[in-house]
Amino acid sequence: MRSTRVVLLLAALGAYASGAAPSSKESSKQLGAAAHKAGTPFGDDFAGSSTCQMCHEDIYKNFRKSAHTFVETDKRGGWDEHGCESCHGPGAKHAGSATAEDIRNPLKLTAVETDKTCLSCHLNTAKHSERISSSHMKDAVACTSCHTIHGNGPAGLVARGAAQVNSLCSSCHKDVAVQFAKPFRHKVPEAEMTCVDCHNPHGSNRKAMVQSFAANDVGCVKCHGDKRGPFTFEHAPVRFEGCATCHEPHGSSNPRMLVRQEVKSVCLECHSNMPAVKTPAVGSPMGVVPPAFHDLRSPRYQNCTVCHQKIHGSYADRNLLK
Amino acid sequence: MRATILLLMAMPLLGQDAAKPADAPKQEATKEEAKKEEPKKEEAAPAAAAPAPDASPLPSNESWITGYVEAGYRWRSGIGGSADTWRSLVNLGSGPKFTGTDFTILDPKHRLFERLRVRAYDWGDPWSSLHIFAEKRGLYKFLADFRQMAYFNNLPSYADPTFLIDQQSFDTKRRMGSYDFEMFNGHLISPYLNYERDSSSGRSVTTFQTGGNEYAVPSLMRDTTDLFRGGFHVSGNRYHLTLEEGGTIFRNDQDTYTTKTNPGDNPVPFIGQTLNLGTLSQAYGVRGTGTHSKVIGTASPFSWLDLHANFLFSQPSNSLNYQQYDTGNLVVLSTLLFYTNEQYLVSATSKLPHTTADAGFEIRPFSGIRIQQSWMTDRLHNSASANQVDKFLSAGLTTTTLPQAYLAYNYNQSETSIFGEVSKSLTLRGGYRYVWGDVRDAVLPPEALTTNPSSTMHRHVGLGAIIYRPSPKLSLTGELEAGQSTGEYFRTSLYNYTKVRMMGRYRLTNTLRISGDFNYLDNRNPNNGTSYLFRNQRESLALDWTPKGDNWTFEANYTRCDAHSQISYLVPQLLSPALSVYRDDCHALSGFLNGTYRKIKINAGGAASWTSGSRPGSYYQPLAKVVAPVNKSLSVFAEWRYYGFAETFYAYESFRTHLLTAGLRYTR
Repeated sequence: MRSTRVVLLLAALGAYASGAAPSSKESSKQLGAAAHKAGTPFGDDFAGSSTCQMCHEDIYKNFRKSAHTFVETDKRGGWDEHGCESCHGPGAKHAGSATAEDIRNPLKLTAVETDKTCLSCHLNTAKHSERISSSHMKDAVACTSCHTIHGNGPAGLVARGAAQVNSLCSSCHKDVAVQFAKPFRHKVPEAEMTCVDCHNPHGSNRKAMVQSFAANDVGCVKCHGDKRGPFTFEHAPVRFEGCATCHEPHGSSNPRMLVRQEVKSVCLECHSNMPAVKTPAVGSPMGVVPPAFHDLRSPRYQNCTVCHQKIHGSYADRNLLK
Repeated sequence: MRATILLLMAMPLLGQDAAKPADAPKQEATKEEAKKEEPKKEEAAPAAAAPAPDASPLPSNESWITGYVEAGYRWRSGIGGSADTWRSLVNLGSGPKFTGTDFTILDPKHRLFERLRVRAYDWGDPWSSLHIFAEKRGLYKFLADFRQMAYFNNLPSYADPTFLIDQQSFDTKRRMGSYDFEMFNGHLISPYLNYERDSSSGRSVTTFQTGGNEYAVPSLMRDTTDLFRGGFHVSGNRYHLTLEEGGTIFRNDQDTYTTKTNPGDNPVPFIGQTLNLGTLSQAYGVRGTGTHSKVIGTASPFSWLDLHANFLFSQPSNSLNYQQYDTGNLVVLSTLLFYTNEQYLVSATSKLPHTTADAGFEIRPFSGIRIQQSWMTDRLHNSASANQVDKFLSAGLTTTTLPQAYLAYNYNQSETSIFGEVSKSLTLRGGYRYVWGDVRDAVLPPEALTTNPSSTMHRHVGLGAIIYRPSPKLSLTGELEAGQSTGEYFRTSLYNYTKVRMMGRYRLTNTLRISGDFNYLDNRNPNNGTSYLFRNQRESLALDWTPKGDNWTFEANYTRCDAHSQISYLVPQLLSPALSVYRDDCHALSGFLNGTYRKIKINAGGAASWTSGSRPGSYYQPLAKVVAPVNKSLSVFAEWRYYGFAETFYAYESFRTHLLTAGLRYTR
């Protein structure tokens, strides 16, 4: 009896997972699917893409060369020969009247409504699994802000070339883009790197939508593999607060993209706690003052990394000297 | 029984189509019904027959290949000023250059691929890249990305400024490759494989530090990280699942060898003896492996509910074999032991299990209301041990230490956000984030001034935003985040802070758009002994002007930034409090004019920044480029660039250089 229940439960779950359950009402309204005639694929409200092509030849051509063309050709998707109407809704009325009011134009909708159209296909994908962490989503930046849905000729639905990607991002993030005018920076203006090498525009569980490496390491170590560790003797802030504790990745006036003009300031602003001063409840900030022989009046001690060269972590020395 | 269960579980999967629109029209219509529908479609579109599903997307009169290839020669003027700084910042040289190509092939018959796109840039320069993308929908998708970058860095101000030696300088080359292969993309189950390789090799000048002195010595370094991963996506109508397993192999070698007597940075005799390094042989060998697992799941069980959950786990581990042999007149400061030769051997292992998990949902109970809730935890625990054997051969003394290191980091976050669409043009967002965690860092046995610190942190953060878009011409976004903390990990960590961000866009006319950005961060830690104040403010104004459609465009962007930090610290030699003050007031400008005059394309502009404050300086990067057509597909181009860098306090690091490049561009 118990086994039968398990079987029935699994069968029900399986049937649900297979998509046999009725479609959602909201999306049905949204896509105009309510106009479907019972038992037929498309109702009278639908015109078919070939009708759209008659007036929108250029768009149709681009669309057919784009990655979205499979919507038009793939019968399994359910929109074969009706690719245009998969986003724009039923088009027969518009085809008859040729007025813009009679067709749904996602570009004129709110960002939330536009995204809803796109996400009716794209929501349940690995790429969008961190969607609710995305500041783009939070600030109502629609998918169409970056993606050209009809396709940009053979170039695809979104900029791919490094310079084009950076240009696309900087069209909104102008204050960030101009930081790359500073001398010490990553090679973004040279188009050797792109913004999306470091940031995931679809969302990430890290601050500033930073990419990750090998599941959950910070994306910086994808290129700086020697900084990944694990080290025998770690430098705690690298793990606890990340690279941006000491570096300004977008551009800095200071060598090595440091956050201060000289190395000793970067180090001593944290390494200024007397040992054993500790509040039992919350502990104390980390970073102990260096021993007294570090005489800052001597140029030898101006740049701590001259001696503490393994500042990101050392395999051999607890003081990060070798 | 098990077989029955498995069969029942498998049946829906087998019977399911690939991901499709959540509410795609059902295709269960009978053939007869479909036939009845056909005439209606034909009535609607009498002149255009519907294309066959497998018809070529490429109109017959269009080229199957489109793109360009560009190559030329670059001349560089002499470098006025510091050649080392030039190489550290720009590093472009004279010679033939393959400046770039970008072409796409659309195969009308879909033999090996439907679409192949190749991009390659800057071959012949210190950085270059190659990208290949090929796809045959439903069968495979392949993406290759290869980059190499010469990394040179030698800035005297970064070393001991007295001796102007090349401490901490690098002349290395880094190569990065990523190769993705996904099969049956668009199907219910699509497996994928990925291989990434990141390697670096080259020379550097490092420092051999030993009691009372430090010696700049040449070094060879080489590191490689290989990442292998594979998994599969399961994509249904209302759910998605990704399972991935992967591993890394890490190698890092560094060798130092010198037989030249080196006086080091400290010429002052130490207790009557002049310290020096005679010979040095150092060899690091680090070998590591790691595994990782990734599970990503999303589901939309109802139209008003979206769910997501991620589980990520990685566990890299490394082992070290370090050997050092040195001679000279050297000293151990702690025991005042003078010695002439030393052998130092270290073997060590470390392991870092790292778990990250997050989950959340978005619920839409009413029209215009969205509620999002997410939880996240990130926890890593590094444990390591070493065996250090130090033999002072001349003194006949051997010391052995067996340090154990432990580092733990636990981060947790819970966030709730509510979105309210007050009207079609106004959206309000409010939320609350609670962050808590603890850290611990210990090395045993403890050394003289080290402690085994631990700390906990609790932070309450209020979130708010307003998004106002009354018309396509105007867009305003404002965000506010304010946090209050109890406990901090570091003196400069976020503590009691306020973040403000505002963005505005306005289209003045059909050809002129302006936009403005304002970013502000104020972080204060008033705790006794810290007294930290950090304020960073950035204002940006941008203008886009397209006076003649797309033929001429002009864009300009001006940003002013003001960073100010002050914090009390202890001067090490006196243990007296002092104030560390940092200021960075910058003005940055970028602008470009693009246009066509009598078929000649013109591109002129550039970027410049001026900084005053703690490290005053300026950096100019203007450029101009013209492309003139020779015939329908061939054109010539010429480009001029100038780089001018100046620093007030470190004038010896300034440079200025002109670059001129000319070449041919073939377009199809």
